[in-house]
Amino acid sequence: MEERRSGLNEVLITATASVTGLGPDLDTTWRRLLAGETAVRPIRRFDTGRYPARNASWIEGLESRGDRSLLFPILERLLDGFAPLPPGCRLVTATTKGCIDTFERVRKGLPGDVADIPVSGPLAWLASRLGLGDPGVNISCACASSTIAVARAAAMIASGRADAVVVVCMDLVSEFILSGFSSLQALDPAGCRPFDRNRNGLSIGEGGAALLMMSAEKAHGNGIRGIGSVVGWGAANDATHVTAPARDGCGLIQAVRLAMAKASIGPDAISAINAHGTGTVYNDAMEVTAFESVFGPRRIPLNSLKGAIGHTMGAAGGIEVAVGLRSLAERTLPPTAGFGEPMERCGFRVSPLPQPIEGRYMLSTNSGFGGINAALVLKGNPG
Amino acid sequence: MTPGPIPPVTREDVFPEPNLRFGRLPQYSRVGLAAVAFALRDAGMEQWKTKRFAGLVASTRAGCLATDIEYYNTVLPEGGGPPSPNLFSSTLPSCFLGEAAIQFGLTGPTLIVNDPAEDALSGVRMALESLSWGECGTMLAGHIDLPAGPAIPGIRPPWTGGLFMVLENGRDSIANGYGTIDLSGGGAVRHNGNRIAGLNELVRACLAFRRPS
Repeated sequence: MEERRSGLNEVLITATASVTGLGPDLDTTWRRLLAGETAVRPIRRFDTGRYPARNASWIEGLESRGDRSLLFPILERLLDGFAPLPPGCRLVTATTKGCIDTFERVRKGLPGDVADIPVSGPLAWLASRLGLGDPGVNISCACASSTIAVARAAAMIASGRADAVVVVCMDLVSEFILSGFSSLQALDPAGCRPFDRNRNGLSIGEGGAALLMMSAEKAHGNGIRGIGSVVGWGAANDATHVTAPARDGCGLIQAVRLAMAKASIGPDAISAINAHGTGTVYNDAMEVTAFESVFGPRRIPLNSLKGAIGHTMGAAGGIEVAVGLRSLAERTLPPTAGFGEPMERCGFRVSPLPQPIEGRYMLSTNSGFGGINAALVLKGNPG
Repeated sequence: MTPGPIPPVTREDVFPEPNLRFGRLPQYSRVGLAAVAFALRDAGMEQWKTKRFAGLVASTRAGCLATDIEYYNTVLPEGGGPPSPNLFSSTLPSCFLGEAAIQFGLTGPTLIVNDPAEDALSGVRMALESLSWGECGTMLAGHIDLPAGPAIPGIRPPWTGGLFMVLENGRDSIANGYGTIDLSGGGAVRHNGNRIAGLNELVRACLAFRRPS
């Protein structure tokens, strides 16, 4: 039976896929996440000798065709065997830097297809690959890009502006990105350790996610039950600093409260939190402050995937939705790789081991440069 | 907005008082921040005491490619020095929206939409959607693009510059505003009920509405 809140369509996620440093598909990534493994390891794609941190979570065996970006083989892996799209499906993508390796090649005087450099390049490729007439749009909101893309797709479906949206999230490890975070002294040479007392920065990562979202009416009409639902979403800017989060977590608090209000649930309904958890001193402290403000003393299970798959930037939120829905289905929150000793003043249950989830709602959040914060409330299907 | 390069934007062009951040920003961010400042000034909303839940959304084709080039020149060995953290923090097309959020105390959603469409209306369209969905009561919406220049030949956005407008739900501001903008059922942008084909046409329609007869 379709659930309607305030006249809005219920938003189902009917298919998921992911490619990460841990594996070419969601099953492999999930299995290795549960085992507490990490894909953060020395970079071999380019010379890292001038940078103190030389690790990232990168995808093994990517080969470019001709002079084209490594983004395309990631997308090929992602979409190989992906669910068929219904007629009229819209495309929303999320990336921060798209074919940044092509940009680097061109600037070094090496061959590269200049048409791939603007995001319109991968957008057109995806539309063609997926057989969509509309090239779609890309959402760019720093490290919250894919969370906001999912929120946007959910709002389109909830309002009736679209029946189905495929969200494709992607970003690459590149020297451009590594050098930048290195210049900000934001990288942990030992690999990132989210919510750990000794955390010292992030590890970059690459990957992609594809999420097929549909109205419940459309899905059920096609005999599709769905993996889970996006029941709440919210975004807010902390208006404080371009590269550092607001210490009081004001933007994240607002985004989480908006998402829970949209979901018509209170804090007690949230069973687990998939945090942004970059492993930087200030991000993780900000998140704990914000979650404490919203959830009080409840010791909710909380994790971050970034110790395992790195910070995949524009792909992070999409991968986290795919993994989050699997977590709700399996009633298990994956470990936080890299976590050893709890950080100060963190009352949430962070663990290097899998944790059980009791309940159906998960909060997933991301925050990024420019002060943006975004939150989703995911609902699992009953087992 | 017109094709081709635009002149450099200086702090004096935008803010009468010294501004701690503006001088450190690359041209893309300056253009965007200036456009937001001018839109808020025109709407009488530039001054503020408490943060406001207003959102920012802009469309772009080339994004901050000009900033990317400037930053990457510091990464290339011939750049001669360490990569610039200041420039890197501006190599996301959405970062100037963060600058605007800080400058003007705006706490709503901030996003950039890359859209290959030449009408440059995606930002306005998304802002109208956000308003109709009740996500915000006020949205600043617009478009921003700069030419990449000779460093990356072949990337020439059809329109360059930055343009923002303040969109509000409700009818209170109509008397002093530029008319009513909404979306048709099919998603077309309309001004006072007339379908609009591009951002320049929308601006012309707004100005014609405001102009005293």
